[in-house]
Amino acid sequence: MSPSRSSRNSLQSVDLRALDYLTSPSANLLCPICHAPLITPVQTRCLHTFCSACISLSLERSSTCPVDRKPLNHDDVTPAPIMIANLVNDLVVLCPNREKGCTTSCARWLVESHIREDCEYATVKCAKEGCDGMVERREAEGECVHEEVECAFCEGAVRKLDVELHYKECPKLSSDCRHCSKSFPNPELAAHKLICPDEIIDCAASHFGCSFSSRRSELDEHLSHCHFVALTPILQLHTERIETLELENKAIRQKLDLLVPPRPLPTQLSGATSSAANDSSSGRDMTSEMQDYTYHLYSEYEQLRSDVERLNAQIRELDVKQDMARFNEGLRYNDEMTGVRAAINGLRMQLHWLVASRREAGTGGAGAGGARSVAGSSASGDGRRMSVDSVRQVVKL
Amino acid sequence: MAAVKRITKELAEFSNNPVPGVSAGLASEDNVFKWNVILTGPQGSPYSGGVFTLNLILPTEYPFKPPTLNFTTKIYHPNVSNDDKGSMCLGVLRSDSWKPSCKIVQVLEMAAGLLKEPNVDDAVETSIADEYKNNPESFEKTAREWTRKYAK
Ligand SMILES: [Zn+2]
Ligand SMILES: [Zn+2]
Ligand SMILES: [Zn+2]
Ligand SMILES: [Zn+2]
Ligand SMILES: [Zn+2]
Ligand SMILES: [Zn+2]
Ligand SMILES: [Zn+2]
Repeated sequence: MSPSRSSRNSLQSVDLRALDYLTSPSANLLCPICHAPLITPVQTRCLHTFCSACISLSLERSSTCPVDRKPLNHDDVTPAPIMIANLVNDLVVLCPNREKGCTTSCARWLVESHIREDCEYATVKCAKEGCDGMVERREAEGECVHEEVECAFCEGAVRKLDVELHYKECPKLSSDCRHCSKSFPNPELAAHKLICPDEIIDCAASHFGCSFSSRRSELDEHLSHCHFVALTPILQLHTERIETLELENKAIRQKLDLLVPPRPLPTQLSGATSSAANDSSSGRDMTSEMQDYTYHLYSEYEQLRSDVERLNAQIRELDVKQDMARFNEGLRYNDEMTGVRAAINGLRMQLHWLVASRREAGTGGAGAGGARSVAGSSASGDGRRMSVDSVRQVVKL
Repeated sequence: MAAVKRITKELAEFSNNPVPGVSAGLASEDNVFKWNVILTGPQGSPYSGGVFTLNLILPTEYPFKPPTLNFTTKIYHPNVSNDDKGSMCLGVLRSDSWKPSCKIVQVLEMAAGLLKEPNVDDAVETSIADEYKNNPESFEKTAREWTRKYAK
């Protein structure tokens, strides 16, 4: 690295939370709050791990663990084991200047020094003496782009760097409205944007839940019958009231936390219970006993709930199994039925043949005997049907 | 902003592993706090054959505050308020039981689950809940009728 370059360290800041990772990291290394790999990992008393910044934000809003809702205070939060910190710091990230063109990827703990000292796309101070402008490092050696030149249209002074940008607002030029694509002189564009009939805007009560949005020209029609707009004054009032109540609630909770420690340590608890006879602290003992009892009940409740859930799952499984068994049984019966039917058919054929051959042997005649044999066979057919029915009944049984 | 990053990630995760019967996406590309959700009525329920659209609004304090879920399609259901808001009552969506570690996909799964089986203990529409408990035929009839009328 040349000395002239190292003297131009980049001041571009790196937001570790916004980094993109080369491969998606193990779910165990993700913070339950921001769902990104942990940054400065800390551990709670209930053994959950969060980013230091995330849990602080969460504790500002609620004194409970964001995972299991157990009571939690700043004092219950300690740095996570160094191994976890090492694991997340070694994850490979892509350079934050990737969109500008940098293809570097490196361990997360190195990314700040990459930006500060190496990245060709990080912004550094302009090389020209006396110039305060910033350029990308790869262009730092080129000519200064911060000198002012004259605009060809309005004759105003513009930095070389900003010429393109200036054309969008130069008072002598026109630009197109993004919404209606009509062209307006730049000075009038801002005013037009406030009234452009084609811009898609949300209902005035969108923050109260109305999901309607339409072109500005058509919104009035909606506003005239939108229930949310009609309710806005009262909803506003309620929001304000809820906010004050929340503030009050927070203050009260803080006071309460001072009076009653949210979760006494087990040793304190047993000590307090054993000295229950002591009059001076009996009130205190009552509350800790109550707490003890509540926690006990709560854990029992949790246990019961998980039991019920497990039983439910088992029942569902059994149901499925039973359905399958019934289905299989049905198939088997079907097969058996077909077998029985085939057997009966065989019997029928034999019977038919036997009857016919006996008739023939008995009468010997062809004319009237033939007719009788037809009647006989149909009678035997009835008998057969009956026997099939009875077999069917037997199968059903 | 941390919330935007997390929501974007959750959206990507949802598109890679969608929940059966649920489709969801941003209402507009430039705002990750507003999602459009479509639930299809599950087979065997009185909502079968219906298509229900919902709005999922994420507060700017997400994930520290819970999202809200509103049916824009009218639905006859013990856990959905029978008014213009159509807000879905889900235990986890109440701010006192919401946990920042909950994910949007879990909320959507639960919403889909409630179509299969309403939760009468957590009902907003107590009269519908009573009907569901005591007179299931009449409940199913109305629910099916509404599905045919509003959710086709
Ligand atoms: Zn915890
Ligand atoms: Zn985090
Ligand atoms: Zn770089
Ligand atoms: Zn310069
Ligand atoms: Zn100009
Ligand atoms: Zn316009
Ligand atoms: Zn509206």
